[in-house]
Amino acid sequence: MKFSRLYLTFIFFVLYMPIFYLIYYSFNSGGTMHHFESFTLDWYKEVFADTRLLIIVLHTMIIALLSSSLATIIGVFGAITIYYAKHRWKQTLLTLNNVLIVSPDVIIGASFLILFTIAGIQLGFTSVLLSHIAFSIPIVVLMVLPKLQEMSPTLIDAARDLGANEWNILTKVILPYITPGIFAGFFMALTYSLDDFAVTFFVTGNGFSTLSVEIYSRARQGISLSVNALSTLLFLFTLVLVVVYYVITQRASAKGGQK
Amino acid sequence: MRRYAYAIPYWLWIGLFVVAPIILIIYYSFFDIEGHFSLVNYETFFTPVYLRMTVNSFWYAFLITACSLLIAYPTAYLLTKTKHKQLWLLLIILPTWVNLLLKAYAFLGLFGTYGAVNALFEAIGIGTKQLLFTDFSFVFVSVYIFIPFMILPIFNALEKLNPSLIDAARDLGASEWTTFRRVIFPLTLDGVKAGCQAVFIPSLSLFMLTRLIAGNRVITLGTAVEQHFLVTQNWGMGATIAVFLMIAMASIMALTGNKKWGVRQ
Amino acid sequence: MDDRVIIRFNHVTKQYDNDLPVLDDVSFEMERGKFYTLLGPSGCGKTTILRLIAGFIEPTKGDIYFHGKRMNNVPANKRQVNTVFQDYALFPHLNVFENVAFGLRIKKIGKEDIERKVKEALRFVNLEGYEQRAIHEMSGGQRQRVAIARAIVNEPDVLLLDEPLSALDLKLRTEMQYELRELQRRLGITFIFVTHDQEEALAMSDEIFVLNKGKIEQRGTPKDIYDEPVNRFVADFIGESNIITGTMIDDFVVEFANQQFACIDRGFAKNERVDIVIRPEDLELTTVERGKLRVRVDSVLFRGVHYELCCYDTYGNEWLVHSTKKADIGEEIGLHFEPEAIHVMKRSGGE
Ligand SMILES: Nc1ncnc2c1ncn2[C@@H]1O[C@H](COP(=O)(O)OP(=O)(O)O)[C@@H](O)[C@H]1O
Ligand SMILES: [Mg+2]
Repeated sequence: MKFSRLYLTFIFFVLYMPIFYLIYYSFNSGGTMHHFESFTLDWYKEVFADTRLLIIVLHTMIIALLSSSLATIIGVFGAITIYYAKHRWKQTLLTLNNVLIVSPDVIIGASFLILFTIAGIQLGFTSVLLSHIAFSIPIVVLMVLPKLQEMSPTLIDAARDLGANEWNILTKVILPYITPGIFAGFFMALTYSLDDFAVTFFVTGNGFSTLSVEIYSRARQGISLSVNALSTLLFLFTLVLVVVYYVITQRASAKGGQK
Repeated sequence: MRRYAYAIPYWLWIGLFVVAPIILIIYYSFFDIEGHFSLVNYETFFTPVYLRMTVNSFWYAFLITACSLLIAYPTAYLLTKTKHKQLWLLLIILPTWVNLLLKAYAFLGLFGTYGAVNALFEAIGIGTKQLLFTDFSFVFVSVYIFIPFMILPIFNALEKLNPSLIDAARDLGASEWTTFRRVIFPLTLDGVKAGCQAVFIPSLSLFMLTRLIAGNRVITLGTAVEQHFLVTQNWGMGATIAVFLMIAMASIMALTGNKKWGVRQ
Repeated sequence: MDDRVIIRFNHVTKQYDNDLPVLDDVSFEMERGKFYTLLGPSGCGKTTILRLIAGFIEPTKGDIYFHGKRMNNVPANKRQVNTVFQDYALFPHLNVFENVAFGLRIKKIGKEDIERKVKEALRFVNLEGYEQRAIHEMSGGQRQRVAIARAIVNEPDVLLLDEPLSALDLKLRTEMQYELRELQRRLGITFIFVTHDQEEALAMSDEIFVLNKGKIEQRGTPKDIYDEPVNRFVADFIGESNIITGTMIDDFVVEFANQQFACIDRGFAKNERVDIVIRPEDLELTTVERGKLRVRVDSVLFRGVHYELCCYDTYGNEWLVHSTKKADIGEEIGLHFEPEAIHVMKRSGGE
């Protein structure tokens, strides 16, 4: 028992150590990540004075919200398509759906780069947005599909029996039932979009940048404590997002009465 | 019919972003750097340089996966025994929401010559070591980044396990170890498989880590693809490597034969 | 056409892919305002008939008529039929009131009317005051009632019930049997009730259809079916029976167990091989001398109201006897029965 507690403590320590390390040194006036001189908020001021960085943050948010919303809409209908598909098709569709999930990011990035170049889409906002939508769709599908499959098929029969047409069935039975899955899918897509580096790096071009790409290019130039300050802010933002997500899902499940 | 109308965007997505990219990659692999149709990329791939790189990539991916599994399984198992396990699980997931690059960046500080780890080494008398830009740091940071994705499916598999099966095994005289080996582990194999897939595949494309942490010492196929597409502009060669990566992926998926994809919650 | 007929199946066949037909050339008529039961073993096609009537599936061959109109291609949401599903199929994201109101809302009925009709339907099934409950807060029996209320609130001509009682415990089940029968009388609409439980079928129905392997073996009132099963399958399914093979010597004379007996059946060919049914409760325990059959008691079970004796005659035929008298295992006893207790049936082919 003692050993197991020690083990878990160690795992959690290692897991959080780097994050808190970053946060700790974001208040260091010394400018390095190893010798703490004195407390300062200068790095935060630097972050908020950096309009280029703030625009990048804004871009990242816009891309994340837009791509995850659109991916959620397309993904939900994708999941319904798979759900209704005849048995033979179902497996094929699922396999195609999962291709992007099981592909390494570099391949996705490289192939999208080719695609956009051929299609004549300029690298930048559009290409990044399209890529994010594209890799988020299968995630949404995978979050929604189990909800659909858990739904008893007689529920749809029952609705039809009570006079519902296809549209009623969709809006009054299926969508309300899978709402928790839709939320989960949306938030999953949001995090994937905020987190993505590799795919974006391939299709981003010169003029446009997201946070990940920006952090990468700054980190390659060595340590700069404004990156620490930025990561602290992002961590706080993530915490807020987690809490919001938690509250929403709790409420949804309390209302729906399903576990 | 209307039922099919709402599926149109999804079908478009499959066509444009799933099928077309695969075809494009294969198509481009047959063009050399001047844009002439040729098989030269395939010839190049079968030279010792690339073959060694392939072996290397898979070796590192394997190492990362194996280390993750070895650390993650006990963690997941012990987590299921804790009181507020959903909360602890959330705490395991939380770091995955921190941008991967920020975590890598943190290790630049931690593993630096004067970083916290070397300070600790100094204090216990091992002495300062070169940590950054080594194979070790690459594997360590990769495991650090991926471990939640290994813990999660195993945790879910363990949670789904019917506890009376364990009681039954004990009742039939199995020791704790035998129970684990003969009952618990086989029944959580699906979770293990899902976790291994979730770690192995992305660990092939960690070019940013090789650049930041491993100082270009570790050149994997992922790094090479990035190099060819974004630096040397030899798309044909990059596409060829991608083709082999895709073949490798497909065979791994077929081998593990896991129909139920490891859905993260 | 008789205008009391509400549903007519005309040579209906239902087949999935290239499997054996699930329903094989079935024809029947059902009348307005009666309680029908489809009875048969699991997998015999009962649910398939209901789904054809409800409109969830279409027949492969043949026609289905409602009020004399062909309905094959009319979708489920356009039929004056409602279903109570085996798993109730209540919408988990809606409360009791909204579940019951679902069909009315689809029809865009006015708010007050909905309120009134839902209340009335819930009162019908004794669930007043439960409007705002969530489905998962209701017990099995209550969910059952919600499902019924949700169906009848739409005032269907026909109510389909697919094994609605099978998920309930014995006591609740008996209670619901009474209630359903009562409900049908009050509503005066046609009920088509599916079950694999013969006692349930006998207790509730105006008319029973006994199904086997996609065919209707027999239809009739509970009494007809119980007393005059047309073949071995029906006799066996409808209750515990002694079924043995025999020979029709002549009209009113049948031979089995190497003896000839008087009976009340006629119209068979001379020396035709037949199946004989004698119900266990029609066999009477007596002494060896007074019995028409001489058997040895093999086992005795106490069943509460009676003893169940399992006996063998010298030819190896098994005889099940229900008797208030007890006998000892191994004892030789006689069995007495009246000529009316012998039911002679045509042999069903193949066995
Ligand atoms: N969608 C389907 N596809 C293939 N076979 C089916 C389908 N639905 C039902 N069946 C088959 O039809 C037969 C009758 O089913 P059903 O009517 O549900 O029987 P029950 O009398 O138990 O209600 C069963 O053998 C079942 O396997
Ligand atoms: Mg059935």
